[in-house]
Amino acid sequence: MAQTRFALIAAAGVLASTLLVGCERLPMDTQQVGYRGTGMEQVTNPRIVAANAPRHVAPPVLDPADASGPRASQAYQNVKVLGHLSVGEFTRTMIAITNWVSPEQGCVYCHNPANFADDSMQTKIVSRRMVQMTQEINSTWKNHVVDTGVTCYTCHRGKNVPEYKWFADPPAPSAGRMLGNDFGQNKAGKKSVGNASLPYDPFTPYFLGKDEIRFTATTALPVNAQVPLKQAEVTHALMIHMSEGLGVGCVNCHNTRAFAEWSQSPPARVQSWYGIRMVREVNNVFMVPLTPGQPKERLGRTGDIAKVNCTTCHQGVNKPLNGAKMLTAHPELAKPAGAPVRTSALSELPLSLIKPAN
Amino acid sequence: MKKTLFPVPYYQNLFTKVRVNAPVFPGVPLERERDTAERAGGIHAHVLARFGNAQIGPIYLGFLGVASLIFFVIGFTSIGWNMLVQVNYSPIEFVKQLFWLSVDPPSAKYGLQLPPLNEGGWWLFAGFFITVSILLWWARVYRRARALGLGTHVAWAFAAAIWLFLVLGLFRPVLMGSWSEAVPFGIFSHLDWTTAFSLRYGNLFYNPFHMLSIVFLYGSVLLFAMHAGTILAVSRYGGDREIEQIYDRGTASERAALFWRWTMGFNASMESVHRWAWWFAVLTCITGGIGILLTGTVVDNWYLWAVKHGVAPAYPEIWGPIIDPAVAK
Amino acid sequence: MAMLSFERKYRVRGGTLLGGDLFDFWVGPFYVGFFGITTVFFTFVGTALILYGAAIGGTWNLWQINIAPPDLKYGLGLAPLKEGGLWQIITVCAIGAFGSWALREVEISRKLGMGYHVPVAFSVAVLGYVTLVVIRPVLLGAWGHGFPYGILSHLDWVSNVGYQYLHFHYNPAHMIAVTLFFTTTLALAMHGGLILSSTNPPKGELVKTPEHEDSFFRDIIGYSVGTLGIHRLGLFLALSAVFFSAVCIVISGPFWTRGWPEWWGWWLRLPIWS
Repeated sequence: MAQTRFALIAAAGVLASTLLVGCERLPMDTQQVGYRGTGMEQVTNPRIVAANAPRHVAPPVLDPADASGPRASQAYQNVKVLGHLSVGEFTRTMIAITNWVSPEQGCVYCHNPANFADDSMQTKIVSRRMVQMTQEINSTWKNHVVDTGVTCYTCHRGKNVPEYKWFADPPAPSAGRMLGNDFGQNKAGKKSVGNASLPYDPFTPYFLGKDEIRFTATTALPVNAQVPLKQAEVTHALMIHMSEGLGVGCVNCHNTRAFAEWSQSPPARVQSWYGIRMVREVNNVFMVPLTPGQPKERLGRTGDIAKVNCTTCHQGVNKPLNGAKMLTAHPELAKPAGAPVRTSALSELPLSLIKPAN
Repeated sequence: MKKTLFPVPYYQNLFTKVRVNAPVFPGVPLERERDTAERAGGIHAHVLARFGNAQIGPIYLGFLGVASLIFFVIGFTSIGWNMLVQVNYSPIEFVKQLFWLSVDPPSAKYGLQLPPLNEGGWWLFAGFFITVSILLWWARVYRRARALGLGTHVAWAFAAAIWLFLVLGLFRPVLMGSWSEAVPFGIFSHLDWTTAFSLRYGNLFYNPFHMLSIVFLYGSVLLFAMHAGTILAVSRYGGDREIEQIYDRGTASERAALFWRWTMGFNASMESVHRWAWWFAVLTCITGGIGILLTGTVVDNWYLWAVKHGVAPAYPEIWGPIIDPAVAK
Repeated sequence: MAMLSFERKYRVRGGTLLGGDLFDFWVGPFYVGFFGITTVFFTFVGTALILYGAAIGGTWNLWQINIAPPDLKYGLGLAPLKEGGLWQIITVCAIGAFGSWALREVEISRKLGMGYHVPVAFSVAVLGYVTLVVIRPVLLGAWGHGFPYGILSHLDWVSNVGYQYLHFHYNPAHMIAVTLFFTTTLALAMHGGLILSSTNPPKGELVKTPEHEDSFFRDIIGYSVGTLGIHRLGLFLALSAVFFSAVCIVISGPFWTRGWPEWWGWWLRLPIWS
């Protein structure tokens, strides 16, 4: 009798402890996003944030270079993108890129040591295009990256290949079989979709293709063409990726009682809208055309090149590198040579509207 | 004094202290001798005796029950087999990934047609067999009540649940013209469906039938706590002998009624409380089914519907005017 | 005098917890008692404040009335009345009223010689409310984490708090709670139906017995829990449903800040198959 009781209590205690082991502990940080009482608040664990903080530190800034003297295009051959810089500035940029992308291999990761000018190495072709991509992001897409901007380090973080990227999936093994179709979802452990059983590739339709992300009806009564229910799941999958990639909940951009209503959404949603379009351009205009010439180990299982999503730059925090403005020290990456300075509609909004209420 | 787990002044009738050993009761005899013989089994599981009856069985295995089980096993197995193939026949992966695995309905492009087996056909197959199994089981519940000379109230309550089940898997998809709207067979996947449904149709919290259904759901839990607590509180007067208390009101029913009359000003009777109970539980499913059926067919966005009818609250704007960039261009 | 035919003999003195004979009387069908007085007090003040909140809230539309908790910046302090202070006082009144109601039920149980099962069950529900507006806000450091008092606005709160965790259905305690809610409703339908079916047989038939009830459920599912057991089961299911509901919200935030689907990672990482 007493033994049974003891055994039962002990079992309950073991079970409770097992389940609790997976949990976090107090105290937590909270931030209000919306009007009081709407439940629009972010709860974050300061210990997790602190543990991850070292991953989001910008590297030390190089000393400024001498801006005088001959231009790099005059002093060197085959300088196509950064020729307008002085030799000193050009060298400084090259050193910075090496630190950001190939600190172990050094210059020879891209350059033929016998002839720095020649384009025999694929990595040099790619990195030239990447510099153009960086300039494009920082000029055309200020609506997303504002004045903070990006540098090679934002994605690469000292690695040859950014840690966070995506590839297309090969056709499911169930294709052509009589049963066992997973419908592109219903798989355990998919980090792309935060471990939910939602569609695990929201990137191909939305970050490579231009499929319509919106699916909610804009009228109370059904007058417009019906959008299938599965559409909501694919978009939900994309949104979970965004949340996980930025380390925020849905309320960062939405009042979830009416997801679709822009008038009730925090300003971050506008910034995110531009971010999606920016990623599409990065993938279609810069990444995909670089596929030919890539060594096999750089390609995915369907022979496609690595592509960009939110996590590539953000790596789990709301502002990449916690908002460090690396671009200030590298204005050559802020825009293509000779291009006018552009401002974004977003940067014309008062700062109080862009930052969440505290 | 006997030591108890929690300090209480006296016995609360939560667990039976004296557990009686008795022969297995074969059940009230049925009209036809051969029907009584359809009953099989009957053992005692003493672990149950502290809580309820210890006797398990005999179970009635008639035509309807056996047919229902066969249909169910076929449907259930086809789902499991599909899941097993999804993990390449690995039993370990099957257990590991079980909650994520699913058999989904066909994609929207097939409308109401029969899709290929592996493109949603298996969902239709399993759905058909499970539905037939459920309808056969309903007939069994009805028949067993009639055979014992009981009213058919349990069967009709079951019918309300079947209504909701059929709305979700049959009536609404047909009205929407697409099997793709139906619920997948899978643990996490059916929860994904629930969220997708609310997202797609503008937040289901704003659906008035959804509100009603939740009122009845919470109300059912409230009612069972109230009723069960009351009966246990008067069980010392024989309150759990509800049938007898109904046709011959004793002090248990009187105290139970007065408890509620004195607490909230009105009360039920020993019989009518069971009518409250039956209706709350049944209306949960009836109103829920109506709410699902109206979604997408009559109303496409419940939040906008609520705004139209002056039901949605407005909150002060705390950011500047936020404009849709797709429109602002 | 609004008394049932058998009621007079039960109206005796005694059973009170506080106040003795002073408040031991009835008003119409309602028993008063000391806690009846406190209930009326808290209810009156709370309702008056709710009406005041509605008056300054800009709408009398029943569905849109909203009395919101304070901004998070006020932490666990008292906020100005019109900036959430009203919500705070209403909450105190609510807890006072619910607590009084429970204690009044205890007094009534004692007077009627009944067990305390009903006030205990009610206290579990009150605990659910207190978890939402006191325990979780205190753990998170601000009264502003409570839910607003408004018919639709409290649903907006549920939506936003839920989506903070990306997909709240994956919360394991929520899954258990929902299952318990549905199971309770199923059991209630079965029990209500069973009693009605034995006391309302087809025309011409006799009222049936508990042996018939047991036979019915043994016939269809092979087990009948019995007349006492079903009430134990019902109470257990209902109270467990509320308990796990309280658990599922108190862990969301104070003890878990990531998406709930991510929590299931521990299962996938078990050494036996990873």
